[in-house]
Amino acid sequence: MGPGGLTHYKRVSGDAVEYEVFARKTRGEPLHQVGSVVAPDDDLAVAYARATYDEERWVEMAIVRKEHVIELWQPGEP
Amino acid sequence: MSLSDLVLSIADNKQMLGLRYAEWATRAPSLEADIAAAAMGLDDLGHSRVLYGCLEPLGADPRGPDRESDAGSLRSLQYFDEPWTEWAQFVAANAILDTAFTVMIEACVNGTVEVLQHRLRKMLMEERYHFLHGRSWLKSGVDATPLSEAWREAIEWFGPPDGETATFHKEGRLSMGPTELRTRLEERLETKAPAVHIDWKVWDPVRRRSRPGAIDDPTFAMLRGLEEKKYASGAAKEG
Repeated sequence: MGPGGLTHYKRVSGDAVEYEVFARKTRGEPLHQVGSVVAPDDDLAVAYARATYDEERWVEMAIVRKEHVIELWQPGEP
Repeated sequence: MSLSDLVLSIADNKQMLGLRYAEWATRAPSLEADIAAAAMGLDDLGHSRVLYGCLEPLGADPRGPDRESDAGSLRSLQYFDEPWTEWAQFVAANAILDTAFTVMIEACVNGTVEVLQHRLRKMLMEERYHFLHGRSWLKSGVDATPLSEAWREAIEWFGPPDGETATFHKEGRLSMGPTELRTRLEERLETKAPAVHIDWKVWDPVRRRSRPGAIDDPTFAMLRGLEEKKYASGAAKEG
């Protein structure tokens, strides 16, 4: 199948969005960001996060839409 | 037919599902979908190993020597006979057939056979992610042809209403029979199965399919390790 073979596929919910992936290996440590995935909906983002970042023995993994992260300040800002 | 025959059928189908998934690890519509295809492929190949390992404790291993020479002796569905050429075939297998196998594993885990109760439980956790992947892609809309084919083969695979799957259910060894398995599959996919007519007289209870055929030669050679041997002998000559 060539690249053109995929052009008729409609992604699930329009534009794909970015999700941040958080995980921790023990209950004693805080969740920390381990990466991100791009997906058109939450279900697929869950499946992608698990497939992409499952190489460690995490006790917890969570994802959050990047647009839902509220930034207080960014690098370079006072 | 014994429960071992059914477990071998699940194992062979999961092995082929894993291999067909893995073939899409560089051809899926996005990098994430590539990785998911590879991960799900590894999961299902792992599940097949666990299922093969259940055959001995079940007391009867139905695998004969013909599995080394006759691709038609493997118990996988027609859907896996040839590599998939369309992403829609991947999605239909992921959403419908993978979930059908999971529903059968649920029936084993909730049945009375101890070795199946214990060894297959973890698969259900891993399959949750396969289900989310398949359902999400299914909602995106895919061609009807592979979907109806996957539904037909899933219903065939559950078996006739008065066959041995129904008997295992009556005995309690499976928590669901063919009718309940189909209903459970429909519930999980939140849709009704299309109307299909199955002639159970031509249905093969060993391979749990109606049509003859077998997996393609290159895949069968790979399963037997022939491809590996080819490269190994080449390396030996070079050495």
